[in-house]
Amino acid sequence: MAPIDRKFIERALASPVTRRKFLQGLLVSGALASMPGGLLKAVTSEAGITYEGKYQVFRNACPRNCYDTCSIKTYVKDGVVQFIEGAPESTFTAGALCVKGFSYWRRAYSPDRIKYPMVQQGRGSGNWKRVSWDEAMTRIAKKILEIKKKDDSLLGLGLTKYSGNFGITNYGVEGMMSSLGYTTRFVGTPCWPAGIDAQNYDLGNMWCNDPEDFVHARYAILWGANPAWCSVHTMKFIYEAQERGAKLVVVDPVFSQTAAKADEYWRPNTGQDGALALGMCRHILDKGMYDKEFVTQHAVGFEEFAEYLRREVTVEWAAQKSGIPAQDIAKVAEEFATAKPATIWIGYGLQRHVNGGAMVRAIDALVAMTGNVGKVGGGARYGHLYTWGFNYHALIQKQPEGSKGYVGATGPMGEFDTGQGAKAAKYSDRAVNINQTARMILETNDPPVRMLWVSCKNPFSQDFDLTMLKKAFKKLEMVVVVDQFYNQTVEQADIVLPVTTLLEEWTQNVSYWHYWMSLNEQAIKPMFESKSNIEIAALLSAKMNQLSPGSCTFSPKLNSKKWMEMEFNKGIYDLFGIKSWQDLRKGPVKAKLASSAAWHDYKFKTPSGKYEFKSDLCKEHGHQALPEYLANRKPYAPYRLLTPHSKFNIHSQFQNLDWMAEFNPEPFVYINPKLAAKKGIADGSLVKLSSKVGEMQIKAKLTDNVAPDTLLMYEGWFNKNPYNVQNMVDDTSADMGKWKTGAPGVAIHDQFCDVNPA
Amino acid sequence: MSKKQAGFYIDAQRCIGCYSCAMACKNQYHQEPGVHWRYVYPLKEEIYPHRERAWMSLACNHCEHPTCLEVCPVEAYYKREKDGVVVHEQEKCIGCQNCIRSCPYGAPRFNPARHQAEKCSMCYQRLDAGLKPACVQGCPTYALQFIEDMASFDQSGKVQYLAGFPRFPELNPSVRFRPPREPREVRR
Repeated sequence: MAPIDRKFIERALASPVTRRKFLQGLLVSGALASMPGGLLKAVTSEAGITYEGKYQVFRNACPRNCYDTCSIKTYVKDGVVQFIEGAPESTFTAGALCVKGFSYWRRAYSPDRIKYPMVQQGRGSGNWKRVSWDEAMTRIAKKILEIKKKDDSLLGLGLTKYSGNFGITNYGVEGMMSSLGYTTRFVGTPCWPAGIDAQNYDLGNMWCNDPEDFVHARYAILWGANPAWCSVHTMKFIYEAQERGAKLVVVDPVFSQTAAKADEYWRPNTGQDGALALGMCRHILDKGMYDKEFVTQHAVGFEEFAEYLRREVTVEWAAQKSGIPAQDIAKVAEEFATAKPATIWIGYGLQRHVNGGAMVRAIDALVAMTGNVGKVGGGARYGHLYTWGFNYHALIQKQPEGSKGYVGATGPMGEFDTGQGAKAAKYSDRAVNINQTARMILETNDPPVRMLWVSCKNPFSQDFDLTMLKKAFKKLEMVVVVDQFYNQTVEQADIVLPVTTLLEEWTQNVSYWHYWMSLNEQAIKPMFESKSNIEIAALLSAKMNQLSPGSCTFSPKLNSKKWMEMEFNKGIYDLFGIKSWQDLRKGPVKAKLASSAAWHDYKFKTPSGKYEFKSDLCKEHGHQALPEYLANRKPYAPYRLLTPHSKFNIHSQFQNLDWMAEFNPEPFVYINPKLAAKKGIADGSLVKLSSKVGEMQIKAKLTDNVAPDTLLMYEGWFNKNPYNVQNMVDDTSADMGKWKTGAPGVAIHDQFCDVNPA
Repeated sequence: MSKKQAGFYIDAQRCIGCYSCAMACKNQYHQEPGVHWRYVYPLKEEIYPHRERAWMSLACNHCEHPTCLEVCPVEAYYKREKDGVVVHEQEKCIGCQNCIRSCPYGAPRFNPARHQAEKCSMCYQRLDAGLKPACVQGCPTYALQFIEDMASFDQSGKVQYLAGFPRFPELNPSVRFRPPREPREVRR
């Protein structure tokens, strides 16, 4: 192949200019088109790039917030990644990646990366100045010490972090905060909280079957899940089930790519999934087709549930609520109850409603009463944390002696936290709702949040009510953002610190869907001046102690590899059947499961030890004891606005890459042709959307994949494009989530707006 | 022994239009911006009634009688004896674009940086190493498959010309498709 231009790399790495100037320079020189050509030289088809061997092969793992958490094999030559593949050892990843995965190393070598610590003179001004790591840390450390002096605590220091990188060592960010003192944490999750609580009430935990056992299902309903876009590797198992004779039903307000693969597709009224499930339950009850052994031997409260169904629910009522004809509800209910095993995949879409938790409980009940819980090829599949038993050394850090903090309630939670032992302490961190970041910054006082640390998160692209968020940021005295790209949050930062990509650091990954564990090795040296979250914590600790001895307990000596090694324990090794983490260099390993079925032993973790159709705990927490129907949110504007995931990004990651923009160059709002005709909107024309929180202009794409009363935009962040769906979305809470994740979920799909030609 | 003709099988029922194949190709060959050797084409709504829900993943079809090879004035194309892979030797290419104009499937693309044509090589180096083409290995749903020999490929339920795929029997493109199905739909 063509030789790598080492000089070009050296020049690029040494170039001490700001991004803006750097890009200007490239435009002038005409080099932008091929940048960074030295690293990513195009290869001709006969050049013999492909497979002559002689590569260094590294193990990597996708740490993004995705079901698939793919195992990656990285081929490196002369210190530069040449190409990557899905690891063939994992029967889940099976040698393939997704469109995002295959673009991974373009992230590392992107010309748009943040290369150095930078300071912005005036948030949003774009007036960036390069500083040294030492200067950046000095500014940050001085501010932290100033806050501590002013408030006599560090509650004025807030951390907002979520799913930008689930690599285990990245919990060093939380660890860094703890090692400084008691701080303010934005806790909870925008992702799946209502359903987590729902499954915990019903089953005692969130635990799902191995997705590879889909092949054994005789009937499958994918309910509010779109794996063809969000879990591409699961599709092959679903296809195999279909090829073995299983029927696939997809329920979704959008005719998704997954729906196109179904045998039967239902488009119910959005947010009426609970009514639909209850209607099916009633029909199965009437026909006596429920599993009598399961409901008597392994469950409590079925009689009360049956009584509720007979009293309040009919198939006709479900039809009227959902818009799905009664005969279809009855037919699928009978088919589902008859097929053994039958399974439902509950997606994270349908729980993003004010009645989301109640709807998940209704679907759980449908699976349970048909005896499909605990069965290979069955189950109410949602997610699991079965394989997350790491030490979380990086997370669990001691506060410096004499630290003062929040008095009263317990410390923060999060679905991946394993308990920090803060409960017994006199003080704790101050927990505020991550789904109401703007509101929490504005309303938190005594002391106010003065400084915000953002890592693994892009709030200006993914949080809610941006108008309020902009207002909230004005209250902050300092904003530090740790990121890889100049995204919409970095625009609002005072200091930005460049962080490594997965190829440049050590960590390890497990999934919340499948049961594989993968090592993530450092395949290339960190590009430019980027550092891992662990190294940033170490650097800050050194600076804090230099300025004020004893003010930070984070070890300044450990690097990401050492932290990674410390995360393993005997439990993990036994679960996965390995002797050392070094075994993972040979490839990913799968947990040794007694059965591919969750709850195969019927030992539920509920208070009764049984499946709970009726949950007293749920009632204690202010909800209904039974999985009763809960009404949807009332519309506040003419049309429903849905903002689900795209296949080209994971939240605000990947779409900004030039490689991705080639396949998906611009965003659209998707409008049904009937609505478009009524409003005089043509395909491709510019429209104006407005909701109670904001407005935006965007091109329309006409399609009957969406209903006539629905508008759809995919979330994400496009480089150099002001597109942002969170302009239109408010921060209304879902019903459940507070119990297990510390804050309720957010009703992302209970949103409304108007549309008109621009 | 007669020579073999390798090809691609595109199972449009399994294809989810995820672009993994196209990106896997880019990952392997680092194509210049704007140049792709494999592309994912949505079927028109007249063919499949839902916009952007059924797809054809296409690269070079490695035809039995390739027109690119016929029209190239400098003989930059040759067909491999052992498997019928149509190889474009970029070093010989003078950038006249005859091949680009003549291919009815749009397989050769113009590389503006090199002022030459380029196209899918079916990853013949990988084939020679006993591996699958990068796009085939990169397909997460097994919708894109490698056909080792068209002669022994099971043709039942498969078509050579999917609706929307141009019909050029004289070229005899080495691709086969499985058409996409539609679900029964219950819409409010």
